[in-house]
Amino acid sequence: MTLSFFDQFMSPTYLGIPLIAVALTLPWILFPTPSARWLNNRLITLQGWFINRFTQQLLLPLNLGGHKWAALLTSLMLFLITLNMLGLLPYTFTPTTQLSLNMGLAVPLWLATVIIGMRNQPTAALGHLLPEGTPVPLIPVLIIIETISLFIRPALGVRLTANLTAGHQLIATAAFVLLPMMPTVAILTSIVLFLLTLLEIAVAMIQAYVFVLLLSLYLQENV
Amino acid sequence: LGAGLVQLAHLHTSPNSQAPVPALPEKGGKTRHGIIPEELFQILYPKTGVTGPYVLGAGLLTYILSKEIYIINHETFAAACMGTVIIYGVRKFGPDVAAFADKLNEEKVQKAQEVKDLAMTSLAQAIQDEKKEQWRAEGRQMLFDAKRNNVAMLLETNRRERVHMVTNDVKKRLDYQIALQTLHRRMEQEHMVNWVEKNVVTSITPQQEKASIAKCITDLKVLAKVQQAKTTA
Repeated sequence: MTLSFFDQFMSPTYLGIPLIAVALTLPWILFPTPSARWLNNRLITLQGWFINRFTQQLLLPLNLGGHKWAALLTSLMLFLITLNMLGLLPYTFTPTTQLSLNMGLAVPLWLATVIIGMRNQPTAALGHLLPEGTPVPLIPVLIIIETISLFIRPALGVRLTANLTAGHQLIATAAFVLLPMMPTVAILTSIVLFLLTLLEIAVAMIQAYVFVLLLSLYLQENV
Repeated sequence: LGAGLVQLAHLHTSPNSQAPVPALPEKGGKTRHGIIPEELFQILYPKTGVTGPYVLGAGLLTYILSKEIYIINHETFAAACMGTVIIYGVRKFGPDVAAFADKLNEEKVQKAQEVKDLAMTSLAQAIQDEKKEQWRAEGRQMLFDAKRNNVAMLLETNRRERVHMVTNDVKKRLDYQIALQTLHRRMEQEHMVNWVEKNVVTSITPQQEKASIAKCITDLKVLAKVQQAKTTA
């Protein structure tokens, strides 16, 4: 039965067409193009407001070099949040549950921050490997630890995958055992399912935000 | 190359002119129960009345379930939960979000309106000021008259001063002449008195002097006698 529980995460194909491509690109139509009008309808106004506020907040700690990444980070955030939220609907496929997608986003972006840091300010970038104020005997060990911590940063992608997969799986399992259950016990399971739903909505938004936030943090260190 | 240029000239042109931009509708399409467009009910009303679309919906649902075109599985429960949360969220926070979006637009309009109002008030004020200036300019005749009066008064004052000055000067000269004349007369009088006195003094002969002294002595004696008589009496 374990295989059928994870069936929901199999990348769907239809007649040889990988439908994940559709799942990745179709949510784009949910975002209306900002029009040339001065006063817009509510959706475009809210969308513009949200994007402006988010970009402003995200770029606060970054210096001018990091501002080049504004479009990338904001569009990444919108992308992830849309995919996560849409995946909560029934019978939908969440592309961000695929490790390949998340690592494909995390590793190149993380590597870009590392390379930028090493290229533009190698001393400062290497200096991050040793925090200030460490006692002298600890220095060799700490450098090794910090290097490991640096290379484990692509776990950004793993974090996203794990959180979303776990959440979806929990919802699926709770709903599955709810199906043949007696009504009296079913009420408890329904409550569990309801709470899980609320959690998943929160997790979907938070995980997308955390992804982008950590990336901006890595950028801040290196740029 | 010529054909390409012809095509280039036709970029960004179209026979439809969109200016001025057509206005957006005020409100979105009307919906029944938040999801189903009102038009469906209007379309079915002539043939099936008010309950038509509901019967259609119920029948479709029953058909899909009974023919097992849609099977109730675990996703149904997950969908029910998610649906509850979504509907609750939209019903509770929908109006607030809409009000917020409207407020954003309102603020935008209000900022522009403020600029316009400020311009209007400043222009109206400018008109008022201009009118006042025109009214002031009408009174310029009075101003000129007043100024002319001032100048005339100054001239008059000046003339009178000069007249006084002349009068004083002439009076001074006449006074001088008078003083000169009185001086002359006084000197002549003094001189004459001195001459008369001198002549009188020189004309007093010694015998006249003796006679006058003798008279004085007799007079004194008489006076002494009288005085004596008064004291003894």
